[in-house]
Order: sequence, then C-alpha cells, then structure tokens
Amino acid sequence: MLLCGSLIYYFATYSRSQVKSELMRIASDHRRLIDEFLSERAGDLRFATSFYNCEALCTQGRLEQLFGYLQSSSKAFFDLGVFDDEGNHLAYVGPFDLAGKNYAKAEWFTALQETDLYISDVFLGYRNIPHFVLAVRKDHRNRRWFLRATIDTLYFNDLVEQIHVGKTGEAYLVNRKGTLQSARRGKGRLMEQDPDDGSYTVDGGMAPTFSAGRHSGQRYLYATEPLRLIDWVLVVRQEMSDAYASLSHAVLAAAGIIVGGGVVVVFLAFVLASGLSHQLALADVEKREMRTQLIIAGKLAEVGEMSAGLAHEINNPLQVMKSEQAMIEEVLSDMKESRVPPKSEDLAVIKDAAQQINTQIERCKGITQELLKFARKNEPSIRPVELKTSLAEAVHMVERQAQIENIRIVQELDPELPLLIGDPNRLQQVFLNLLNNSVHALKGKGGGEIHIRAQRDGDSAVSISVADDGCGIRPEDMDKIFHPFFTTKPVGEGTGLGLSTVYGIVEGLGGQISVTSELNGGTVFTVSLPLAPTEEPDHANADGKRSNAHREEDGHNGDYTTAVGG
Amino acid sequence: MAIIRLLLVDDEERFLTTTSALLEKRGLETFTATNGLDAIKVLDANRIDVVILDVRMPGLDGLEVLCSIKHKHPLIEVIMLTGHATVESAVSGLRLGAFDYLMKPCDVSVLLKKVAEAHARKQTAEEEARKARIDHIVSDPLSVFEDEQPPQ
Repeated sequence: MLLCGSLIYYFATYSRSQVKSELMRIASDHRRLIDEFLSERAGDLRFATSFYNCEALCTQGRLEQLFGYLQSSSKAFFDLGVFDDEGNHLAYVGPFDLAGKNYAKAEWFTALQETDLYISDVFLGYRNIPHFVLAVRKDHRNRRWFLRATIDTLYFNDLVEQIHVGKTGEAYLVNRKGTLQSARRGKGRLMEQDPDDGSYTVDGGMAPTFSAGRHSGQRYLYATEPLRLIDWVLVVRQEMSDAYASLSHAVLAAAGIIVGGGVVVVFLAFVLASGLSHQLALADVEKREMRTQLIIAGKLAEVGEMSAGLAHEINNPLQVMKSEQAMIEEVLSDMKESRVPPKSEDLAVIKDAAQQINTQIERCKGITQELLKFARKNEPSIRPVELKTSLAEAVHMVERQAQIENIRIVQELDPELPLLIGDPNRLQQVFLNLLNNSVHALKGKGGGEIHIRAQRDGDSAVSISVADDGCGIRPEDMDKIFHPFFTTKPVGEGTGLGLSTVYGIVEGLGGQISVTSELNGGTVFTVSLPLAPTEEPDHANADGKRSNAHREEDGHNGDYTTAVGG
Repeated sequence: MAIIRLLLVDDEERFLTTTSALLEKRGLETFTATNGLDAIKVLDANRIDVVILDVRMPGLDGLEVLCSIKHKHPLIEVIMLTGHATVESAVSGLRLGAFDYLMKPCDVSVLLKKVAEAHARKQTAEEEARKARIDHIVSDPLSVFEDEQPPQ
C-alpha cells in the first residue's frame, strides 16, 4: 500500500512536470514561430522601404510589383499602402479602394511617430473586417513616409489555430487587455474578450507562465508566453483531465490494484480466519474429548490401582465363608457319625456359621456395589450433591487401605455445609484420588493422619482441603503434578492420571485446585468448588436419605466402617 | 506323629475363631494372632511348628512378620495367605523363606494339607539337623562342649 502510494505520488509529480513542460514547450515554440513570422513580415517591409523610396513606390505599377514580391514571400500580405508624413494614403494595392484616405488619426499612425515599427491589434477599421496592420516608418532625407501592410487574419489565424495538444488543447492569441487576437476553435470569436481571461496568469514582462484555472466548471491548464514584437500573449490551453489523462489512468489503475489487492487481502484474511477459528473449534472439541477420555482413563487407572485392594476386600469375607462352610460340614458330619439327635450347641454353631456366611455375603455385595458405582462409565449427571455424603463415601473406599497403613482419617466438616452442584461420581473421584494420594504419601511412615476439612468459601463456593503429614512433594515436581502421566510412584504402581483427572474434573465444575507442600512435611490440596443453587430440594433429600441408609447398613458390618485408622 | 502346633495370623477375627476351632477338631493345636506384633509375641512364648500368615494386615505387614520369624526361628515353616497374590509379593515371600503361598478364599482342607506338608518338611529338616549334629558329634565328640552351632 505504502509502496503503491509513494509510486503514485512520484508518478503524479513526474507526470505533472511532464504536462507542464509539454504545454510550455508548445507555447514557446509557437510564440517563436509567430514572432518569426511577424519579424519576417516586418523585415519584408523594412527591406522594401530601404530598397524603394516613397516617390518610387508612388509611381504607377511599382507598388503592385512590390506587393507581388511580398506576396511571393508570404501569402499573409493582404494589401499594401504608402503614406506620407501627414497620414495621406499615397498609394495602395489591394482588394479595396482605400487610396486618398487620411490616416493621421489612426492609432497605428500616431504610434509610428515614436517608433519605426508598429503592429496593431486586430481591428475592423474602414474595411469593416478584422485585420491587423504591420507598418514601418522610413525617414529618408528629411522626409518621413510609411509603408503599411495588412496581414490576412485568416492566414494568421491558421498559424495559431492549427496547434493541437491532446484532445482539448488549443492555442490562441490575446492582447494585454484580454481581447482575442486570433479565433479560437472553441468559444470566443476574434476581437471578443477572451472568455478564459482571468483564469490564467500572464507575466507582465516577457516570461512564460504556467497556471491552472477553473472556467465554466472545467479545470484547465494554461501556458502563456508573451510575444516579443507585439504586446500579445500566446495562450495554450488544455483541459486538465485531458492533460492528466495518462496520470489519472495510472492513478485509476493503481487505485484498482490497491482496492483489488485489499479485497484479496481481506478475502484471504477472512478465509484464513474462518479456517483458523474452525481449527480452534476443532481443537476445543478435541480438548474436551481428551478431558473426557482422561477422566475415563483416570477412572480405569484408579480401578486398576484399587483392584488389588478390592480383591483383598472380597477375598477376605470369602475366606471367612469358606471356614464357616467347612465348620458346618464338620458339625454335620459329626452329627451323622454320632447318630444321636443333634445337640443344641451344634445347631447353634451351624446357625451362627450360616449367619456369618450371610454377613460376609452382604459385605461382598457392598464391595462389588462400590466397585460398580465407581467403574460405571456414566454420562456426567449434574445435580446437587451433599458434600458430606460424597466425602464419606470416598473416605469409606480408602479406609481399609488407611487402616493397613495405620493412618487416621479425620473429617472436620462444617455442619452447615451447603449443597454442591456437580456430578456425584466425578466429585467422588476427586476426593478419592486426593485421599489415595495422601495415603500413598504416608505409606511406609508407620502411621499418620489425613485431615479432611470442608467449609464455606465466601458466598458462592465451598472449599475442601485434604491434608496429610506425609512425604510431601519435591519442589521441582510441583509444576508437573497435574500433568497427565506424571507420577513419582514406581513403574507399574501409578499411572500418573490421578491428579490430572482431578484437575480436569474440578475445572469442568468451574472450580479451582491449589496445592501447598513441604518435602517430608506434608501436603495440602485445596479444592474450591462453586455452590449449587438452593432449589431442587427433592434431589438433595433423596441423596441424603440414600447416604443415611448406606451408613446404617455399614453400621451392621461392624469392623468394616467403624474405628477409622489404627 | 507329633501334634502340629499351628499359629494363625489374620486380622479377620471370625476367620481365626472358626478356622482354629475346625483345626482343633482335626487334632491340631492352634494359636491365633490378629496382627504381626501379637504373632511375634506368641511365637516367642510358644513352640510353634507352622505359621499361617496373612500378607496384608494393619501394622506390621505379612512380609515383615515373615522376615522376623525366619530371623528368630528359622525352622518354623510359614505359609503365606493372601487375598490378592501378585507375582512380586509371592516371589519376595518365597525368597524370604516362606513354605508356600495360599490364595484366599482357600478350602480349610487345602489349608490343612498345606500345613501338614509344611510340618512334614519341618520335621524332616529337624531330623536332618539332628542327624547332622549326631554325625558331627560322632566325628568330633569334643564339639559337644563347644557352643551349639547351627547345622551346616
């Protein structure tokens, strides 16, 4: 654009100067031509006055002879006359009968008293046709006489009128008063005031000028040059649009290129931008898919990690059942052998064993349900969640492991916790992952404490923190802990998906997660989650009931849920 | 055949009571412990032939208890019992000197059979140790007066 602009500017400047110099050159050339013509004609007359004397020319036939000579030199001579010092027309040759007239009062005659050459403006004179005269004075032996020739205005006109510049360029002569001294091709007849007078500037002296002016709605360029021999000015006029036609074509072309280029640029920008935005949208979709996949992968990984624990969980009650079953068989076979009515104590043993088997089956059922609840790949169901329940369930799932590691899990929950909005399964996954990490951090320490705190965080959020006094996170790992597949656990034990999953879920819920950790001092993960709206109490109640039922059921199981930690 | 003196170590109390009752019926003398520390105490206080040891327990875990048993009582055979056997823990258990591995849930009869095998091996080992000692004494009677050395 800038390049184009500056190119146009330079071209325009160049083009202007070209037009100017062209017009001025034309004016100058033709001025010289006209001056030459006039000085030749003056020379002709001067030659005649020095070659002949007055008396000789007045002789019959001599003037005709001279006129013949002059006409052979230039067809411009129209007539020729000889005058004495009183202005009497002594001899005349030409198409009119002018001999004998007195010109003492004629302008040319008076002017010639001062100078020896006079060229008049175009005038009508006695003949009543436009013409101008060229007269010379001759002082010979105290006798003054004059030779005057009329210049054919038509012939003279041709000299000027034939000038063509471009389509609209023309040239004409005006005198200093702005009266036309040659006919104009366009408007303006001979001897009338030049209609363009005042539109252009004329130098008072002999200098050529160049100017631009406005006349009857058109803009014109004018080049003027005063004649040397006579107080006339040659004007070359051209319409500006015509003169600058090439320039305006170039400007138009350049503007076209700029506009075209601009359109292309805008179009390309639009195409690129829409392509880019499409790609961004695609990337966004991919990112979302990725996050979903990450959550699923994380969930599966958690399942894998927990499968060992869960197998243990299930196999222990099964082992108890095996023993009970063996005991029943034993007692039954004893009864069979002894062939006496069963002793009440034996029956009691069988009954107790059967009951124990039932208890263990219930326990297994509970475990498998937990597992299914966790592993089920369900769409996120956003609904109000009771934080207490969610936390309790998560604690419940790591309790066993914690017990083994001699870890105490302490829950410090604000009794007036508001409802949260979110997917209960995912929320649970968040807490479970954080708890698992804490348990892992305390592994091998021979006991420790995990504190779960939950309280309101301002009016619109709840903050839940999981703090342990475990091994902590190394400072250099701090910025990597949320990266997928980053793990400090030995190969095969951790997938590195836990915290990235947590991060994804918390972010998905519009919450925030932060972590503070001290190496060998412990780690605190704080999750801030936006609150659920207070409506939809039905859901909340349903949730609450379910969790209560769950807890009662747990109560039956005795050792399974009570006495967290060792 | 001597009465097998068995120690059952598991954090499932019900499993301990029922299984020990059953095994007592089969003529074994049983002891129980619900955690590793208790198990070690029982071992220190009683003469035990075979230990059935749960791998995963609160406090001291099974492998640690195994180490401690093998250190203090190298002739006692230990059968590991696990809810979830992984190759790693099995290998490390066997390397530490466990007699065998049993996977929960396990039939009491299988358990008993394993215990019998373990006991038999222990007896064999003790027999061999005794023989070696006798041979040693025979070949070098003066060694009786030296401090008791473990058999080579």
